[in-house]
Amino acid sequence: MNEELSGNILKAESGRALSAAGTAAIAKERVHAQSRAEVARLRFLRNLPVVLIYLYLIAMAIFALFPIYYVVQASLAGDQNLYATSLQLFPGNPTFSNYVYAFTQEPVFNWLLNTTFVCALSTAIGLFFSLTGAYALSRFRFRGREASLSLLLALQAFPGLLAITAYYYLLQYLNLLNTAPLVGLALVYAAGSLVFGTWNMKGYFDTIPVDLEQAAMIDGATMWQAFWKVTLPLAAPALAASALFMFVGSYTEFALANFVLNANSNGSNLTFILGLNALQGTYTTPWGYFAATAVIVSVPLMALFLYARRFFQSGLTVGGVKG
Amino acid sequence: MLQVKRRTIFFYLLPIIVMILFINMTPILYTLYLSFTNNTEFNESYNFVGLANYIHLFFTSDSDLYYVLALTVLYVVICVALFVLVGMVTALALNHPKVKGSAIWMSVLLVPWAAPAAITALIWKFLFNYDFGPINEIGRIFFGAHFGVPWLTNPVAAFAAVVIVNVWLSYPFFTVVMLGALQSVPKEMTEAASVDGANAWQIFWKVTFPQLRPAVTPVTILSAITTFQMFTTVYLITAGGPITDPAKPGATTFVMIYMYNQVLGASAANIHYAQIAAFSITVFIILGALTFLARALGTRRSEVQA
Repeated sequence: MNEELSGNILKAESGRALSAAGTAAIAKERVHAQSRAEVARLRFLRNLPVVLIYLYLIAMAIFALFPIYYVVQASLAGDQNLYATSLQLFPGNPTFSNYVYAFTQEPVFNWLLNTTFVCALSTAIGLFFSLTGAYALSRFRFRGREASLSLLLALQAFPGLLAITAYYYLLQYLNLLNTAPLVGLALVYAAGSLVFGTWNMKGYFDTIPVDLEQAAMIDGATMWQAFWKVTLPLAAPALAASALFMFVGSYTEFALANFVLNANSNGSNLTFILGLNALQGTYTTPWGYFAATAVIVSVPLMALFLYARRFFQSGLTVGGVKG
Repeated sequence: MLQVKRRTIFFYLLPIIVMILFINMTPILYTLYLSFTNNTEFNESYNFVGLANYIHLFFTSDSDLYYVLALTVLYVVICVALFVLVGMVTALALNHPKVKGSAIWMSVLLVPWAAPAAITALIWKFLFNYDFGPINEIGRIFFGAHFGVPWLTNPVAAFAAVVIVNVWLSYPFFTVVMLGALQSVPKEMTEAASVDGANAWQIFWKVTFPQLRPAVTPVTILSAITTFQMFTTVYLITAGGPITDPAKPGATTFVMIYMYNQVLGASAANIHYAQIAAFSITVFIILGALTFLARALGTRRSEVQA
C-alpha cells in the first residue's frame, strides 16, 4: 500500500515536471507567435471563473434585495398605479401619498400600538418569570436541577401552535378572551419565550463569579440584595439580549393572534401583521397602501435590530454558548 | 455555589414553576387528554374513547396524515438541499481569493436574514401575484404579453413559490455558517493538495468539504426540524392551497398548516377537536424523536472532536 502510494506520488512528480517543462517551452514559442488578441482571449479564459463568480454574486444580490427594493419603490409610486399592470422599476414621480393614506385612513397607529403593547407586556412577564428561576438554576444546587434543565429543553421542542385549541380554552377560562385578548396573547407569548430566556440568562449567570455575591454577603448584604444589586447589573447584556429576542419573537406572531383576535369594524384592534394580511384581499389589494404599510411596520423592527446588535456579542454569545 | 435553605430555592423557582405548569404544561396535557376523547365543536358531552382517534388517524383510508406527512417531508428535503447548495456556493464565492469587497457583498446578501419573515412573506405574495406581480411582469417583457406563471393557483408552482421564499429566508444563515467553517480550513491544506496535483474539483471534495461537514451537519438537522414545523411564512402566502381535489388537502398543506386549517374549520361543517389533538400529538412525537436524534448526533460529534 505504502509503496504503491509513493510510486503514485513519484509518477505524479515526474509527470508534473515533464508537463511544466512542456508548458514553459510552449509558452516561449507562443509569445513570439501569438497576436495580441490571442493573449487577451487567454487572459479572459484564465479570469473566466472570477467573472462567473461575480455574475453569480450579482444575481444573488438581486435575488436578496429585489423584494425589499420593490416594496419600497411601490410604496413611493403614489396611487396612480395602484392596480397598474405595467411594470415600473422606478416610480416616475415619487410621492409620500401612500404613507399619508396609511397613517390617516388605516389604523396603522393602532396596530403598532397594539403590537408594541403585546410585545412589551410579554417581554416583561417573560423576564420576570424566568429571571429568578435562571438565577436559582445557576447558583443553587438542588435535587432535580439537571432534570429541570432537560425538561425545559423538552418543552422547547413542543411548538405551542400544536396546542392552539387548548390555548384558546385556557384564555377563555382565564376570562381574557373577550375582555383583554391582547393580555392573553402576551401571556402565551411570554410562556413561549420562557425556556429561551431561562437558558440564556442561566448561561450568563454561570460566567459571573459567585465570589462577588459571597463578598457582598460577607459585607452584610442579604441573599436577595446580592442578587439584585450585584449580579443583576452585571448581567445587563444578557437581560437586554433576552428581552430583545422575546420582543422580536412575538412581534410578527400570526397564528395565535389570528385565532384569538376578532377584527372590529375598521380593524383597529388587531396586531399589525393581521392588519397587513387583511390589506391583501384577493382581488382588491391596494398595492401602494400595502407597500407603504409594510415599510412602516418593518422600520421599527429593523431599527431595533440594528441598534441592539451591539448587545448580541456580549449578551447572547456568552450566555448562549455556555450550557 | 451558594449554600441556602431549601425554602429560599423554592421561593426563587416559584415564578417559573407556576408559569410552566399553568401556561406551558396545561395546554399540552389538555391536548393529550383531548386526543383520547370524542370532542367536537358540537359535542358538548364528550367522553373517553381510548385510542379511537389514533386508529382513525393511522388506519383509515380517508386519513390525511400520510399525504400531509409526505408533502412536508418532500418540502423539507427540497428546501434543506437548496439551503446547503445555495449557502455553500455563496460561501465559496465570497471566500474566493480573487473576489474583492467580500464584506460589502456579505452585508447585501445577508439582508433577507434581518428582514422580518412574516412581513417579507406578504411581500413575496405580492411579488407572486398573477396579474400585477413584478415576477410575471418581468416575464412578460421577455416572453410576450401572454406570459404568466400561475404562482399561487397551480399546485406545482405554488409549491415552488414557497420553496423559493424559504430559500430566500434561510440561505444567509447557511452562508454565514459555511463561510466561518471555510475560513477555518487552513490554507496550507488546499495549497498542499494543489501542489500534489489535485484540481479545484478534487480539492473541494477531498479537502475542503470534509472540513465543512462538522459545521454543516448540525445546522442542516436544525433547519430540517424548523422547516418541518414551518407555519407563518407558508400560511401567509398560500394558506395551504391551492386545493385541486376537494377530498385532499392543498398542495402546500404542511403539517402545521393542516392542523391550523382543521382548527379554523374552513373546510368542515363540524370541527373535530379530538382528532386534531391526536394529529398534534403524533406530530409532536415525530418532532420530539427528530430533536432527540439531532441532539444524540450532536453529542456524539462533539465527543469525537474532544
